[in-house]
Amino acid sequence: MNDEELMRAAARLAREIRPERDLWAGIEEAINEPVASRWRPMLAQAAAVLLLIGATSTITYMAVKDTSPRAVVTTPDMIFERASFGNRYTLGPGFQDARNGLVAELNIEFDRLSPEAEEDIRTNLTMIHTAINNMNDELEKDPGNTLLQEQLLRMYHEELALLRRVSGLSRNVMMRNDI
Amino acid sequence: MAALLTADTSDYSRAMATVSTDTQAEEAMLIEQAQRSSRRAFEALYRLHIDRVYGVCLRMTGNVSEAEDCAQDAFIQAWNKLKLFRGDSAFSTWLHRIAVNSVLGRMRKSKREQERIMAVSDDTPPRLETGDSGELRDLSDAVNQLPEGARNVFVLHAVYGYSHDETGEMLGIATGTSKAQLHRAKRLLAQQLKQEGFEA
Repeated sequence: MNDEELMRAAARLAREIRPERDLWAGIEEAINEPVASRWRPMLAQAAAVLLLIGATSTITYMAVKDTSPRAVVTTPDMIFERASFGNRYTLGPGFQDARNGLVAELNIEFDRLSPEAEEDIRTNLTMIHTAINNMNDELEKDPGNTLLQEQLLRMYHEELALLRRVSGLSRNVMMRNDI
Repeated sequence: MAALLTADTSDYSRAMATVSTDTQAEEAMLIEQAQRSSRRAFEALYRLHIDRVYGVCLRMTGNVSEAEDCAQDAFIQAWNKLKLFRGDSAFSTWLHRIAVNSVLGRMRKSKREQERIMAVSDDTPPRLETGDSGELRDLSDAVNQLPEGARNVFVLHAVYGYSHDETGEMLGIATGTSKAQLHRAKRLLAQQLKQEGFEA
């Protein structure tokens, strides 16, 4: 038998073959099963990720809140009274009130803190005050220096935030229009 | 059909063309209904195409239960993908390709198991009920004994008439490989049939 005869014979082989049993029942059963949504597992994963982020954020917040005294406060003898921008601007009454209130809380908070924490707070406040002093000195020489003004404002913000963390009060943070 | 038997050749051709057109229209309607999730319409499509789908599954697997599983799997896949069918090719061709993919997927999955089964079974696979008569039964049996690669190419190209390009695409092999496998299949079949005194 040559190739041509073989191919002719192959072309005569049955192409359609009836199965020995009806296969529809199995197919019907399969297609009647509820289709598992592809979105369901994806949504579950997204929810799990959100939960994880939420849990992590909460834990981080709690940890930071609990350990925040690390960046914390001072005794009245360390209170920094200078609150101005060079010789041209002074801080608004809102800021002064907030700071005075926080300072009043400071001694109470120090009683609850360990000596090490108190030392840390004093150091931080001293650094902030030194920076503020230096900036004010510079601003007296160059009152129109907006970059310096912004940096000074940031330092006041830092000071207030530090006092807030120590005293546990929630006051409004100083805004630029408080000046 | 009785009218067709008395008609002359040209009338017969025209009548068959009409029948074919009617069938296509009916099939298109069934596809549309099935795409709208009509299981009854899909069952009608199954009845229309099962013999051809099962045929290619049986020819490629050479095993009745495997062929049944593949055919069922092909129709289940077709149901799941039915909304993607846009009629770019004939429905039967689309279905055929799904069936071939189903066979290939199962072959890949169960290769180890098949090897284990072959190791403990007889050398000669059981004769398949393909509906072939007379001397074609010998050819059918010989095809069933071909190695997998050569058998797949021979079935798709020589039996079902796909080109080498189409065969290669369906099997995931190069066109040249398809030609080489066909050559190998023909050589093996000729040897086998010569031993059995087959005359085409």
